[in-house]
Amino acid sequence: MREADSGAGAVRTGPRRQRGRLRPPRLETWVMAAAVAALVVLVVLPLLFLLVGSVRGEGGLSFEHFTEALTGRLYLQALKNSLVLGAWTGLFSVLIGLPMAWAVSRTNVPCPGLFHITATLAYLSPPFLTAIAYVNLFSPNAGVINVLMRDVVGASWLTFDIFSMSGLVLVTALHTFPFVFLLASTALQSVDSSYEEAAQILGAGKLATALRVTLPLVAPAILAGTLLAFVNAIALFGSQAILGLPGRIVTLPTRIYALFDYPPQYGLASALSLVFILITVAALYLQHRFLAGRSYVTLAGKGARSQPVDLGWFRWVLLGFCAVVFLVAIVLPYGALIAVSLSKSWGLSFWQNLTLANYRFVLFEYNVTQRAILNSLMLATLAASIAVLLGTVIGWIDVRTRAPGRRLLDYAALVPLGLPGIVMAVALIQFWLTLPIALYGTLAILLLAYVGRYIPLGVRAANTSLRQVDPSLEESARVLGASWGRTLSEITLPLIRPGLFAGWLLVFVPVVQELSASILLFSSGSITLAVAVYNLYETGATEPVAALAMVNMAIIATALGLASWLASKGARARSPAAETVRTGATA
Amino acid sequence: MAAITIRGLSKSYAGADGPAAISDLTLDIADGQFVTLLGPSGCGKTTTLRLIAGFIAPDAGSIHADQRLVSSPERVVPPEERGMGMVFQNYAVWPHKTVYENIVFGLRLRKVKAQEARTRVESALSLVNLTGLENRLPSELSGGQQQRVALARSLVVEPSILLLDEPLSNLDAKLRERMRVELKELQRRTGITFVYVTHDQAEALALSDKIAVIHGGRLQQFGTPREVYNRPASRVVADFMGLVNLLPAAVVAADGHRTGVRIGPGWMLALDTDAAAAPGHAVEVAIRPENIRLRPLARAEGPHQPARIVEAAFLGNIVDYQVALDDNTVLRVQAHPLEELAVGDAVAVHVDPAHCTLFAASPPTGPAPGPDKQGADA
Repeated sequence: MREADSGAGAVRTGPRRQRGRLRPPRLETWVMAAAVAALVVLVVLPLLFLLVGSVRGEGGLSFEHFTEALTGRLYLQALKNSLVLGAWTGLFSVLIGLPMAWAVSRTNVPCPGLFHITATLAYLSPPFLTAIAYVNLFSPNAGVINVLMRDVVGASWLTFDIFSMSGLVLVTALHTFPFVFLLASTALQSVDSSYEEAAQILGAGKLATALRVTLPLVAPAILAGTLLAFVNAIALFGSQAILGLPGRIVTLPTRIYALFDYPPQYGLASALSLVFILITVAALYLQHRFLAGRSYVTLAGKGARSQPVDLGWFRWVLLGFCAVVFLVAIVLPYGALIAVSLSKSWGLSFWQNLTLANYRFVLFEYNVTQRAILNSLMLATLAASIAVLLGTVIGWIDVRTRAPGRRLLDYAALVPLGLPGIVMAVALIQFWLTLPIALYGTLAILLLAYVGRYIPLGVRAANTSLRQVDPSLEESARVLGASWGRTLSEITLPLIRPGLFAGWLLVFVPVVQELSASILLFSSGSITLAVAVYNLYETGATEPVAALAMVNMAIIATALGLASWLASKGARARSPAAETVRTGATA
Repeated sequence: MAAITIRGLSKSYAGADGPAAISDLTLDIADGQFVTLLGPSGCGKTTTLRLIAGFIAPDAGSIHADQRLVSSPERVVPPEERGMGMVFQNYAVWPHKTVYENIVFGLRLRKVKAQEARTRVESALSLVNLTGLENRLPSELSGGQQQRVALARSLVVEPSILLLDEPLSNLDAKLRERMRVELKELQRRTGITFVYVTHDQAEALALSDKIAVIHGGRLQQFGTPREVYNRPASRVVADFMGLVNLLPAAVVAADGHRTGVRIGPGWMLALDTDAAAAPGHAVEVAIRPENIRLRPLARAEGPHQPARIVEAAFLGNIVDYQVALDDNTVLRVQAHPLEELAVGDAVAVHVDPAHCTLFAASPPTGPAPGPDKQGADA
């Protein structure tokens, strides 16, 4: 809290300026103190309680939970499975993401739009839905493609068991390769063509140039993308439960989940969660180092000249590769889900039993799914708004003041990036169960989990936007007599609105389909969309699950459609204006 | 209208013990004056302006505006309560508001009625020659027009003090010159106290009633443009205010009113100034290139030094010569192009003691005098 008070003293002083001493608290003091307090309640205290819970034994301080978590066969197996899953997923993310990134950023590959769409859609589709879709296609006994191959084509060697590590890696990598794609293509775009041309003049062929000049230049970005893929892959509860558990592949999230079966083992769950955090944070730290250390990558910005490499016939090979990824990541799973959702009973005789009954059931007849849809919509709207609001204040403190401890605040706001959803849930349970407030099982604790988990996205969106608005725009309003609040509402917020809106969407989309934390925190009254999908799936209601999954995708599509419509409208009206004073490149 | 009184103002960004951005500044800006804070980048001039605006708090000293204490280490009146105007280097015209919305902002804050506000915005617009552009967005305006919007926005609230932070430096040379004239006119018409920050000495000379030359966080000289240019108080000022020849010399006689110095063998000057040092001490004689006259040696009359032209650059309105004296001292001379002299010509160098300034000799660590000085202004 000291931070907040002294922070407010610096409010008016602008960036890079020394703080000035101030009179009694003003509006900004209260707002900023509130934001800091919120961050403490959302992130810092739950983590502290997680730590305390992990070392509290029968008679005071004890490391028995850690001993158990680090030596017990069950837990070591889960740790090993998680690491194996993460490693393979990281590798496949590179194998898929890197060629695509190189193709769109350095070559004359045809139809680059397909590459971007593939990556975007793959990133947006929740892996637990892809997993369910793939179960319908490749479950050993009933998956239609397996049935087709075994019973109709008669080629049982072409069947594939999705309930395996390979199945899990496949489904997960289809979700995580966009991390590599995104970071690598950004880095590749900033490499000046003259480096490649210099190599070519010296006699290097196109492949040699790509492998020996371009690749090393962007290697840090690729590694960073791989680590992000790793971190995200091991945190996914849904796909690991759906695909791993039937094949007895238990991972850290599913093991932690199992510890909450009656009687719940809170201490052990906390210890295991901390081990989990350690892995994630270590990976994220490395990722940060790789990105920060890429001093020789020419971040020439707009100045970088990029001459696309002419690939000749090979460009069609790359396009084909991307088409296959699109097929496997998007067409196959969503085709399957649509088909299943329209079937009376999923199987090969698809055309004979088309129906809309599943949609009627989840939307109008079954009150659990109805409640889940409404809950998720409400929670996502609230969580996104609160995360962006908090993010704006925290970002403002970081960018516009010299408050002591503002770096600390920034770090605290980024910590949740290292928290897998289920770990966040464990921490919240540890914290709120000790308080006399009955939050467990309510919508409120879900909201806390979502805001806490996605606050980094809000902070980042606000930070990026604020850095693009020159402080003199705010200062000139202050000189004219505008108060802090007035300046914020009339100058700052309108200018960063597009960035904040993007941040809002970045939170809304994952929250609508959040499963990893919700699975531990929901109750029948506060059930959410993803939990409803998972529970229905567990009870074997394959067809309604698919219908509900499509409802989920429809919500996401509507949100994104609305966003791009608003963005294009906003861009026409104001955006060129904003360019005049903003520095830096794209948002 | 308002005067600004600055007393013992100090500010350091690295804590009170760190290197000072500005130290112990005392300055009296009279009501209705056009005062320029001039100095190279990093000299502390912008810090001073931001201290006056109230964006930062001083470590020591005080600022009074219109006899009211506005800044001291204990208490800083926030910028929004000072009623000043400020124009920024990057204009800071709000890109999401139209020209009209930008200008009317300050009036709305002051709860001026819509009808009156419209009239005042219109007259502000005509003051800066922007009538008819009310509904444009800043992105549709040129840099010069945007800067005029920023000016109108500051002027419409009728501040008694207008702060300008390098307002012309983002404009191209031609526009800069035109805006310079307009600014000067504007200040004369409105009678507002202008505090203007720039690193461009030509701009400072052209605009100011008084110039405060700041260097290394310290005030070097505060005077009219002519004083600062012709009678620089220190070598640093002489150097910063334009091209200058600095000739090492020795004091040979001093009587309190006149000082005799020897520049080279057989070159003595008697200056109407107080001695910077006692006889026998080393000094430097500063003389600007345009104050030296050259003639063909054959037509020399009166006291002169023989020399030879070693370099000549024709710049259109002047010719820039380098001439070498017998002892190989090289002087820079700017002469009217009517007098045509060629490299190799023997010339007579005429120096009028009235144009010379005397400084105590300084160790040769300062910026080199002469040719490269203009570069610092870019």
